[in-house]
Amino acid sequence: MPVADLRPVALKKDGDDRLTIEWSDGHRSSYLWTHLRSHCPCAGCKGEHEQPPDPFRILKPTELEPLKPVSISPIGHYAYKIVWSDGHDSGLFTLEHLRALCQCPDCVKKKP
Amino acid sequence: MPPPGPVQEKIAMPGVKNVVAVASGKGGVGKSTVATNLALALHMLGRRVGLLDADIYGPSIPIMMGVSEVFDPNTTQFPLDRYGIKLMSMGFVVKPETAMIWRGPMVHKYITAFLTQINWGELDYLVIDLPPGTGDAQLTLTQTAPLSGAVIVTTPQEVSLIDARKGLEMFNQVRVPVIGIVENMSYFVSGDGKRHEIFGHGGGKKLAQETGVPFLGEIPMDPDIVKCGDSGDPIVHKLPDSPIAKTYLSLATLVSEQVTKSSNAAAELPTLQL
Repeated sequence: MPVADLRPVALKKDGDDRLTIEWSDGHRSSYLWTHLRSHCPCAGCKGEHEQPPDPFRILKPTELEPLKPVSISPIGHYAYKIVWSDGHDSGLFTLEHLRALCQCPDCVKKKP
Repeated sequence: MPPPGPVQEKIAMPGVKNVVAVASGKGGVGKSTVATNLALALHMLGRRVGLLDADIYGPSIPIMMGVSEVFDPNTTQFPLDRYGIKLMSMGFVVKPETAMIWRGPMVHKYITAFLTQINWGELDYLVIDLPPGTGDAQLTLTQTAPLSGAVIVTTPQEVSLIDARKGLEMFNQVRVPVIGIVENMSYFVSGDGKRHEIFGHGGGKKLAQETGVPFLGEIPMDPDIVKCGDSGDPIVHKLPDSPIAKTYLSLATLVSEQVTKSSNAAAELPTLQL
């Protein structure tokens, strides 16, 4: 089935640190929330990823606490938005992006 | 008009069965004419229909539906009703000569308000007349409105098809089913019965074949369409027995069939409470 035709049929919380997505082709994706955050597709995060780290950046108090998701909600028919405990909420994870980020052993093996 | 309340993320419209966007990449191809006459044709088929003008910068629905007044939003109950169609447009609350010089967030707020703060009641179809392009209004609607599908309007020539392809690609990317392509201004029949293909031939059909979406039909150029639109009484309503009105009735029938077929593709994504 082409990736463009795949859609999630269920989302589940797996302990405190993981998200599971069951897809229409029967595949079961597993993600660490921290993995999703580090692959946030928003313009700010993408820009940040491409720049060298700023050694003088001052952390906000919320950044010192362990990062966790506050909510995950569908956007139209094509993406999910995750709101994080530090207030970050601008990343829209398209279904294609989520499928590509799958961390299940099979998908990890296939990645270069 | 004061800005509406806070922006809502996901819009639930429990009374509205199907939301159909009428779109194109390019301006001037007759989206508002098609949206208006499609809405009236669906109504003639016995459906309960609303028409939302999402073109905040250049609303055309007021003139086409014969609403020339500007209303006070504090004392007026929207949507308005004309020819049995429930209507909302920016043109009902700002004077025609007022230029809306707004950035995207304001467009987002008003379109969201038109969808959520207006009591559309029970509708079989809410037809949304989109502005041209693939920008803020289109993103707002595809991200927040429960769209059942989109009808793409194009004219036959390549310069219009290029932009129609972009519109199609946008709907594919945001996974809104494309109900089909309508070719507007396809041809003109002169007094001697001769067919003139002023803007070329078969562009809409070709695009439909290339992209694998249904071709919904050709709508000819006709001075009556212009006269009826400009006088505020669209051709499907004013001349219901005309060949053009019959073309729109066939279009409405095809749109109904395709919306039913695509309802699975437009199913809501599953949610998760954390």
